[in-house]
Amino acid sequence: MNGKEHALVVQSHERLLDVLRDRLGLKGTKEGCSTGDCGICAVLMDGKLVNSCLVFAIQARNKKIVTIEGVGTAENPHPIQRAFMKWNASQCGYCIPAMILASKELLDRNPNPTTEEIKRATSGIICRCTGYVKIFEAIKTAAAEMKEAD
Amino acid sequence: MFVPENLKELLEFLDSHQSGVHLIANGTDLINRMQRREIIPKLLVDLSGLNEFKYVKSKEGVIRVGALTTISELAANQLMTPKYSVFKEVASKFGGPSIINMATVGGNICAASSSEDLIPVLLVLNAQVQVRSITGERTIPIEEFLSGKRTTQLRPNEILVETRFPDLEVTSTCSFEKVGMRNSLITAFVNCAVYLHMDGSAKVIDDVRIAFNRTSGKIPQRARETETALKGKTLNEQTMTEATRALRGELKLTSDFRVSEEYRTEVACAVLKRTLLSCAHKLLGEEIVV
Repeated sequence: MNGKEHALVVQSHERLLDVLRDRLGLKGTKEGCSTGDCGICAVLMDGKLVNSCLVFAIQARNKKIVTIEGVGTAENPHPIQRAFMKWNASQCGYCIPAMILASKELLDRNPNPTTEEIKRATSGIICRCTGYVKIFEAIKTAAAEMKEAD
Repeated sequence: MFVPENLKELLEFLDSHQSGVHLIANGTDLINRMQRREIIPKLLVDLSGLNEFKYVKSKEGVIRVGALTTISELAANQLMTPKYSVFKEVASKFGGPSIINMATVGGNICAASSSEDLIPVLLVLNAQVQVRSITGERTIPIEEFLSGKRTTQLRPNEILVETRFPDLEVTSTCSFEKVGMRNSLITAFVNCAVYLHMDGSAKVIDDVRIAFNRTSGKIPQRARETETALKGKTLNEQTMTEATRALRGELKLTSDFRVSEEYRTEVACAVLKRTLLSCAHKLLGEEIVV
């Protein structure tokens, strides 16, 4: 979990989302629809974006999980987080942890995404403030900055 | 929840616990149905750790796909060369990344509903499924395996381990199209898969197989009368008109909360044309207008 090992006894019914928020206190991951439709609860599991509401905690055993808490800190934000701030890409903010993780997954495997690829990578996450344009611009800016930093 | 370490442990467990047991692969369908209280399992058996069933192999003209291969793994597999672009088409319309990274090939088949985007493609590829129990294995054509809405031929002591289909020849291809309320994360009003075999540039349809998410029942099925109307014909406007007439004749769709029967039928005719032309485009390398 964000680079740290946790040994937990989990109940059969507990979802990864429940364990993250209620057992480990990682409240950055939000609950939305709970049915896999909105993508708000997305985290990275072994480097892949998954909806934590559709994963039983036991199924996340021995997996590497990255949540928004593992991406950057308030003092030292990740370039994607800096770009989101620069573009004011967050309105209510509820979908932003998932948007940032989806962006990170994209930019880690494709440093040069097209607008179409950005749209596809974030297509599972619904922002009901409907501020997608600034989100897409922020991801492009982050891509450019991350390339420069390389 | 029972978490088997390997196939042997799984099959022994299933053999001794035959009622109230639900198998869970990666949960994208089952957890939803549990949330809606459609399924209240006494016991779940977690298959997600059985990595031996994550593979795509090609051997002696047969493509074999392990049941736990995810939709994104299938689409990205190196064996899925451009002639299998149909799997990229399915993946891009199936759901967002967080869904296709989890949804499995075996899970999509066993979910057995008209929302499953992969099944029509497997139907037109003449796929078979292999199921295994402690006493042996069976290979069943996918069309027979799907016995009705949310029901399959899978017995309580069996699991689906593999899906296989004959490798496409160079003169044949497949396409998939889907129409729903929006582009991503949506259950289709209509989806359609077409297998087309055309030898030479004369645009004669040597063989064709067509499947929709619904034809006369509430599970994905072939549209055989429409296939007959197309076989041996030249792909032109008249053939297309005859095909859509045949399709209207054999479709027995129903209205539901998504769309009306009439709308669904009109969309099916348009989607058939689009999918067929997409196949022809792939085979002939030129845009076909009819």
